[in-house]
Amino acid sequence: MLLLTFETCHPIIILMMEMIKSKHNKSELKKWLGFFPFLLFCLAFEFIPILFLIRGSFIDKTTQGFTIAHYQAMSRTVYINSFLNSIKISGLTAIIGVILGTLIGYAIYRWPSESLKNALISLSDVTTNFSGAPLAFSFIIILGMNGVITQFLFKYFNYELYPGFSIYSFSGLALAYVYFQLPLMVLIIIPAFVGIRKEWQESAESMGANNFQFWRFIGIPILGPSLLAGLTLLFANAYGAYATAFTLVESQLSLVTLQIGFMIAGEVRHDPGVGMAMAVLSLFIMGLSIAIYQIATTRVRRWSK
Amino acid sequence: MKINRKSPTAAQKKNRPQVWQIILIAFFIFYMFLPILSTYIFSIATRWDRTIFPEGFTFEFYKEATDASYFTTSLRNSLILSLSTILVSLIIIIPTVYWVNVRLPKAKSILDILMILPFGIPTVVLALALVQVYNGTPIGRSPVLLIGAVFIYSMPFMYRPISNALHSIDALTLTEAGQSLGASTLQVMLKVIIPNIYPGIISGSLLVFATVFAEFTLTKLILGARFKTFPLLLVEYTRINGNIAAAFSVISFTIAWLASLLILWIGKKGQGSSTQAPHAH
Amino acid sequence: MAYLELKNVHKTFGNVKAVNDFTLDINKGKLVSFLGPSGCGKTTTLRMIAGFEQPDEGTIQLDNEDITIVSPNQRDIGMVFQAYALFPNMSVRQNIAFGLKMKKTPKVEIEKRVDEVLEMVRLKDTAKRYPHQLSGGQQQRIALARALAVRPRVLLLDEPLSALDAEVRVALRGEIRRIQSDLAITTVYVTHDQEEALSISDQVVVMENGVIQQVGTPQEIYRAPQTRFVATFIGTANQFFGKVGGESEVQCSGLSISTRKLSDFTKGQEVVVLVRPELISVNTSQPSADAGNIIEGIVETVTFHGAVTRLGVHMNQQRVVADITVNSAESISLNQTVWLSFKPEVCKVMAVAE
Repeated sequence: MLLLTFETCHPIIILMMEMIKSKHNKSELKKWLGFFPFLLFCLAFEFIPILFLIRGSFIDKTTQGFTIAHYQAMSRTVYINSFLNSIKISGLTAIIGVILGTLIGYAIYRWPSESLKNALISLSDVTTNFSGAPLAFSFIIILGMNGVITQFLFKYFNYELYPGFSIYSFSGLALAYVYFQLPLMVLIIIPAFVGIRKEWQESAESMGANNFQFWRFIGIPILGPSLLAGLTLLFANAYGAYATAFTLVESQLSLVTLQIGFMIAGEVRHDPGVGMAMAVLSLFIMGLSIAIYQIATTRVRRWSK
Repeated sequence: MKINRKSPTAAQKKNRPQVWQIILIAFFIFYMFLPILSTYIFSIATRWDRTIFPEGFTFEFYKEATDASYFTTSLRNSLILSLSTILVSLIIIIPTVYWVNVRLPKAKSILDILMILPFGIPTVVLALALVQVYNGTPIGRSPVLLIGAVFIYSMPFMYRPISNALHSIDALTLTEAGQSLGASTLQVMLKVIIPNIYPGIISGSLLVFATVFAEFTLTKLILGARFKTFPLLLVEYTRINGNIAAAFSVISFTIAWLASLLILWIGKKGQGSSTQAPHAH
Repeated sequence: MAYLELKNVHKTFGNVKAVNDFTLDINKGKLVSFLGPSGCGKTTTLRMIAGFEQPDEGTIQLDNEDITIVSPNQRDIGMVFQAYALFPNMSVRQNIAFGLKMKKTPKVEIEKRVDEVLEMVRLKDTAKRYPHQLSGGQQQRIALARALAVRPRVLLLDEPLSALDAEVRVALRGEIRRIQSDLAITTVYVTHDQEEALSISDQVVVMENGVIQQVGTPQEIYRAPQTRFVATFIGTANQFFGKVGGESEVQCSGLSISTRKLSDFTKGQEVVVLVRPELISVNTSQPSADAGNIIEGIVETVTFHGAVTRLGVHMNQQRVVADITVNSAESISLNQTVWLSFKPEVCKVMAVAE
């Protein structure tokens, strides 16, 4: 938790140190003033609320004293299940997204016609932003109880999708999540393929490597950081998702974000401290993913120099 | 001596897409289009729950949708929310990014961290934190709080294109050139910098518009029923009337398409790259 | 005895003839440069030797073995690219060891050879570093070491210095030549920089539009260019267009130039007379007739080039450049009338319609 607080405060600490250093120099200090309005907004709507949230998760509502009871409460089945479900669906759709997205990205990258290539990249650009209620509802239309695909399978293959499968379940939600994960991965991986220089392939070949050896020793290791960046970003992307899940599986599947939502709306009678503890743990999980993402992309940038 | 080799060389192979490519791309297109296409058809189908193809077509549901109570209110609310967020975002982000680029390069790394942080905060967590802190204050559960929240959530989308545009015009040199001709920093920003980065500004604004117009989580959790926006209405109808919900979805998709196409079009004309930034749903 | 032989090699891209009937023998241990402007086919030819492109027609032989259709990874060739060809995910040591690893060389041997080539390029202490931690010049030296580590039969260099700063470029080309002659490795060096080609090669192949213009030692290429392209591409040459007037005379507009005997030309044939600027003398007063060809003109430009000063002299519609020593340039000022003179023997006459 200390780490998390530090992480949140990190930019502010750097800022303050820089300002102290420039204390003796009036014009330097003036320059920092230009940064203030923006910083004020961040403090008001981001940092202070989150610091209070972290503080609140350690405070007992009745005694106002320090407690770790809210975190201990996380061991109850209902909360453990929410975390497991959230991590499972984010992990699964991130892995599917990375694998399929990389293959599709490679297919697009190697496509000979520039116009189709650009069209597919634009398509990814658009569809990765389609999410939330409209997307969830589209999946109900195609895979709901009377959905297009459900009927198609029944009429032509005499295969009954329900009740083995349900769009309002884990697997249904996973299908909807993959919808925005896939194009996001395509957008991340295509520049990575573009970054693999022809010279690398040719030098490897002139030194006696065959195609397989090139990918084994050079191609895939170079793609590595991009794949990792994709995996963590997709994970965070799915973990934080709320609207899609709310529309599809509101009460059928317990997810962390849904639980926190219920607590804010006051739909469940829980100690708000428990909600805050869940929120802080989520911040930690997401913060970790984004931090790994940052490190991985820094490496990508360094290599592509 | 002449040797003619007609076996396909690497260059020739490149010109023909291979089977695995076609399969993967066909799958991708199918996955991306089927849900959207089905929604468009569903919204104009009289009935489409017993047959493979719709039983008939009608525009009745659009009439019902536009007649629905709250339809205009929710559209208006969504517009108010997105436009005021864009306004706040422009007023705060442009001068800050410009200032940091030209006068305070030291702060560049801090700004970068600040702009990636929102991606690490799930929207529900942001909503919870804001509600906890501001409950009972004058801005608690008010549109002001919502705009603040949505601003934080959408600022990376404004930041990227503007920052890229500023990079590509070499803002520092332009500023020095402007100042050597007697202009103040403010004058340079208004008269030289902004006109030169406006493709970035438009792209950023459109991205924020698309994001905020579809925003559901923060609105629902911070204001709930008090401020019904279009996405809230849509979710409500998915539980009341599927056909009308489909019509709403189509409107929502269409707005998103239009915004994205405009961004792509501007991106092709100018040099501001579009999304590429991570986002939360 | 030729070691690397290209016979009637042709290569077409779309409808562009990139390489046209290229025939060349390269002797073992020699450094041969392909020199020409971009798009002249020099890189394509190199890539055909490496195996990255296949000729449409013709054969390539290495050490009496036909390698025309052998794939690049079977050719035993070392290649150095323009830039950025080091593998970014591997350290310097791993980069150099890569080719040996592909050949399943024993570990001990790999270590030994990596140290050996690192020593050769004088970068022993960089073994553990990664490419992005090296300067451009260091990266190219490692690229050279990597190509040499496998002891290739032929070393191919594709504009290896063109991405570097001028100073590094000069230092590194000396380095390349030193290593090449130490190892006596057969080398093909592609460049568009004439100074580079002339300074390090045993032989220079000048190319234009996919065709070999001339093959020769650097001295031959500079002193005895065989085509107008070679004469103007390598160094600077003044060009006087005209018609053959007599058995040793060319008539240009308002000017008659005496040359050596024009036995290869017919009277009235359109020709061009080429004269190098350093072979023209500049006189401040009219010289006597035995100075050869004498042209009167007005000094338009004086540019300092370090070792020499170049004068641009205007004479009836034509500009002639002449190089003089810095000392003699002191007596010359702008807009001054001068007399340029050059001997008939220094005139190179070529037919225009080639």
